[in-house]
Amino acid sequence: MNVSLSTDTVANGVNSRMPAVFGRSIRRARGMVVAIIVFFGLMLLQAFISPGPISYFDMSFLISGATPLALAAFGQTLVILSGGFDLSAGAVISLVNAVLAANMDPADMEASVLVWTLVGIATGMGVGAFNGLFIAIFRLQPIVVTLSTMFIIQGITLLVLNQPGGFVSPSLGTFYMGDAIPEFLPSALLLLAALALGWGWLKRTPYGVALYAVGSDRASAAAVGVRVPLVRFATYVLAGGFYGMAGVFVSAQTGSGDPTVGNPLLLSIFAAVVIGGTRLGGGKGGPVGTIFGALVLMIIVNILLALNVSAYFSTIAEGIVLICAVLLSSVSRHSVFTEQIKGAAATISAWRAGNLVSQREQTDRRLAFVTRSNPSVAEPAARPAFLKQHAETLRYAVPAYACLVLVLIATQLVLGSVFGNWNYWNSLLVLSTFLAILALGQGSVILTGGLDLSVPWMIGLSGVMLAGVVQGSDAALIYAVPMVLAMAALFGFLNGFGVVVLGLSPILVTLAMNGILQGIALLYSNGTPSGFASSGLRWFMTGHLLGVTPVIYALVLFVAGGVLLLGRTTFGRRVYALGNSVDAARLSGVRTGRVTILVYMLSAVCAGVVGILLTGFSGQASLGMGDDYLLPSIAVVVVGGALITGGRGHYLGMVGGALLLTALQTLLAGTSLPYAFRAIIFGCVVLAAVVALRERTN
Amino acid sequence: MKPFMKASLLALSVACALTTGARAAEKQQVYLSMSYIGNDWQAEAANMVKALAASKGYADKIDLKVQVAGPNAQRQIQQINAMVQAGAKAIVVYPISPTALNQVVKAACAKGVKIIAYDAEITEPCAYNVTIDQAEAGRKTAEWLVDKLGGKGNVVMVTGVPGTSVDTARTAAAKEVFAKHPDIKIVGEAVGMWSQAVARTELSKLLSTRKWDDINGMWMQVGCFTANSMQIEAGKTPEQLLPCAGEGSNGGRIQMLPADTKIDGASSPYVPMGAPRISYASPPYSGALALKLAVDLIEGKDVPQHTTLPLPLVTNETIKLCQTGEWEELKNGCNVFQPALVSNPGWFASIYSSELPGLGLQAALVGQPDE
Repeated sequence: MNVSLSTDTVANGVNSRMPAVFGRSIRRARGMVVAIIVFFGLMLLQAFISPGPISYFDMSFLISGATPLALAAFGQTLVILSGGFDLSAGAVISLVNAVLAANMDPADMEASVLVWTLVGIATGMGVGAFNGLFIAIFRLQPIVVTLSTMFIIQGITLLVLNQPGGFVSPSLGTFYMGDAIPEFLPSALLLLAALALGWGWLKRTPYGVALYAVGSDRASAAAVGVRVPLVRFATYVLAGGFYGMAGVFVSAQTGSGDPTVGNPLLLSIFAAVVIGGTRLGGGKGGPVGTIFGALVLMIIVNILLALNVSAYFSTIAEGIVLICAVLLSSVSRHSVFTEQIKGAAATISAWRAGNLVSQREQTDRRLAFVTRSNPSVAEPAARPAFLKQHAETLRYAVPAYACLVLVLIATQLVLGSVFGNWNYWNSLLVLSTFLAILALGQGSVILTGGLDLSVPWMIGLSGVMLAGVVQGSDAALIYAVPMVLAMAALFGFLNGFGVVVLGLSPILVTLAMNGILQGIALLYSNGTPSGFASSGLRWFMTGHLLGVTPVIYALVLFVAGGVLLLGRTTFGRRVYALGNSVDAARLSGVRTGRVTILVYMLSAVCAGVVGILLTGFSGQASLGMGDDYLLPSIAVVVVGGALITGGRGHYLGMVGGALLLTALQTLLAGTSLPYAFRAIIFGCVVLAAVVALRERTN
Repeated sequence: MKPFMKASLLALSVACALTTGARAAEKQQVYLSMSYIGNDWQAEAANMVKALAASKGYADKIDLKVQVAGPNAQRQIQQINAMVQAGAKAIVVYPISPTALNQVVKAACAKGVKIIAYDAEITEPCAYNVTIDQAEAGRKTAEWLVDKLGGKGNVVMVTGVPGTSVDTARTAAAKEVFAKHPDIKIVGEAVGMWSQAVARTELSKLLSTRKWDDINGMWMQVGCFTANSMQIEAGKTPEQLLPCAGEGSNGGRIQMLPADTKIDGASSPYVPMGAPRISYASPPYSGALALKLAVDLIEGKDVPQHTTLPLPLVTNETIKLCQTGEWEELKNGCNVFQPALVSNPGWFASIYSSELPGLGLQAALVGQPDE
């Protein structure tokens, strides 16, 4: 399927002027067209509900406001088209903003727009080249490389500018925020239009064709002579340039620097890409839709204001709008959603006619010559040696443990008291528990090729609910824990439902779910979580049983259970089967939809467990307590040797990843290094840990 | 199903908007633009703003609408502009960034809209700011700690969110104080992100390679409640607790009360234990005060460009338990609430302002003024 897509694209590049192809290009651009329709629909809605007419100023402001997001998401789209993933986008925006604000001369009101724009773009491209080097040349996984880069860049940004301030010349603001043609064309719109046109040209160049080819099927692209590493490298550099441009634009917009300004943009960037109709995984979509995706995200702010949606409902409303917008784009004869409905209708009519497989008699229909008990293979071949049998698993799981040993030795050297200090091991294991549990859920989702971004507020909501229900009573735990976990399972089911039945991108569904859960947590707690953990739960997380914190016994059982679940059960086998190829799994009789939904439920329940444990650990629940666990939950899975596109990875490796990250953080927390250096070291060590995980050449 | 829900949601809100719009014709439009509501402080501050808007003398004057921008500065810029377009007379803002909003704030000022920021600052000169003196907070608490330690000892610091001006100002001021005393040694510095949950994990990391006995005192932005709880868990008696300069959470203040204080609804570690503490806070009433100033501005009164709130400092000598938590009672100097009334120990207790009559415990908890 993927192969045919890439040849289509190549054909499109060649025959684009032929009318016969026109219908097909419209169909292929459906995502973009829908993003445009949704944007104008929302604008009409706004015009309808807001008191005054929409003026030129409003439009111009909206477009300038959305431009940084649009630029960054433009770059991200290129990366995603190439089959990659870039988490460093937000950090690069902050860095460029800081570099400009820290280095511009406050006395120079007429600083050269061209020079500083180039400085920004070059800075971004530099970071992009760093990413590209490790991803394209060393063949490391994009998600973990860019995650490391993100930490390193955040550290460097704080070194450049340690707090908000600095100066950006007003000449930049006048140029970018002003009008190209007064009262008619804002500069920002001109910039975006120019980029869209530039893309129209770039798409038809050999690079553009190769970009789609690489994203659709890297092996086929390489086989037909595309220089895959070069294309990927160029893509990251180009994307870095776009982030840099976004940073320049933010600087122009704000007139000064803030070292944290870009970081929260990251999730919006992905939302803009997905709304714009680009498929995660590569090969389908384009950045023009993304620009409208960014505009949609920005106009939602106005709509919520005009409708006076209450503050606690805003994240819920936004999540629903996001899902609806993307759902619209998938309403067609061939969308997953309609296929599902057709499938359900067919099942029902088959059931009525009595033709359904499950309705047939349960007799053995195998042909007579197939031996029933198969005695001929009673003598199994000698099992290969352990190392040989598990070579693949070991190759990917061992690096995390090897790095863990190095970090432990470093801790002993720097801080002392590691080996022979049980207290250290106890703390390390307790702190690793949260990530180890999340890794099972997030890891299973990743093994099937998905991603669960709803983890933070699943943790937050579970914790807040648990504390609210138990109110410090141990007896209440008996019903509160199952209740909270059942609630988590329900939301996990909804995640899976969105992915499987509605056919939406996992990133979008879980991102929207995260917002919805945040809204529910706020509504449930009325903004102030009440209650606290019971003494039994606190003892479980902080007390001692035979000199060991009780949760560690549970962790050992959990890890054993996780290994068995993924390695020894049919569910586990199916998870891997799905990750390797959904189609192959389906044709082999795996109920892929059911497994996918179960995987999201597992992830939600794991997050729920972590919410409960964190409440016990802190003694209380607070709203944002899950915020710090999203990226680490992904990082441990990848550091532990799993492949982000699915199908490869072992739970023990992920546990090693959790231990490594926690040990590293413990080491850094024990030093008196400034935060900036800690972030840089953290990024570098994670990067070093995955160098051993490089993929083999095709 | 989903599109239908969306449609009915929209229809419902349109109907609401229309009816409130008609009624609010004679009232002044005031907006609250919050950044992020995913933490307890923000929600508490918002509750107090709502309580003031609902209180006598304000309910018939203004029509308050609350919106959330999320953590993304671009969206807050967009939101503030949309509020100006929607006819706001004044906008109360919790700014995501002290600098990023400058341009849009300037544009709003030019249209005669009053912009009042609370807790964090907006550096654009036409904006009004309501904050505490962050450097003073860092300095006073560090001085108290140095004093407690007799100018000598090992100190652990737990800071806030790196890269913010509030964290930088507090931490730098505290370090300046410590630097004046050569016998004070900073032995550990953890990034606490202004969260009890993060303080817990960071302190656990610090203490995995250290013993409590190696530490003499703690300076924190948020986390004293947690640190005291951890010492109790580690087998320390209340008398052995280390002096801790830190936040104004209700749990931390309950721990400051003498161990024999009679209170309702307490359970360890949320109990009185006579913990040696100084408690300071960015008070959550700053948003409500900003709204009051906004109304003053609309009515043409004079308001200083920068209102520096008195720094609420509570020590073991000044700690006093409230019974009901009404404003009248707070006025008489009580500053910590019964756990039976406030079950969450992380809740911020510095809610009293002499400027905001009627805004007591109910205001901060559920957004209702005292009767």
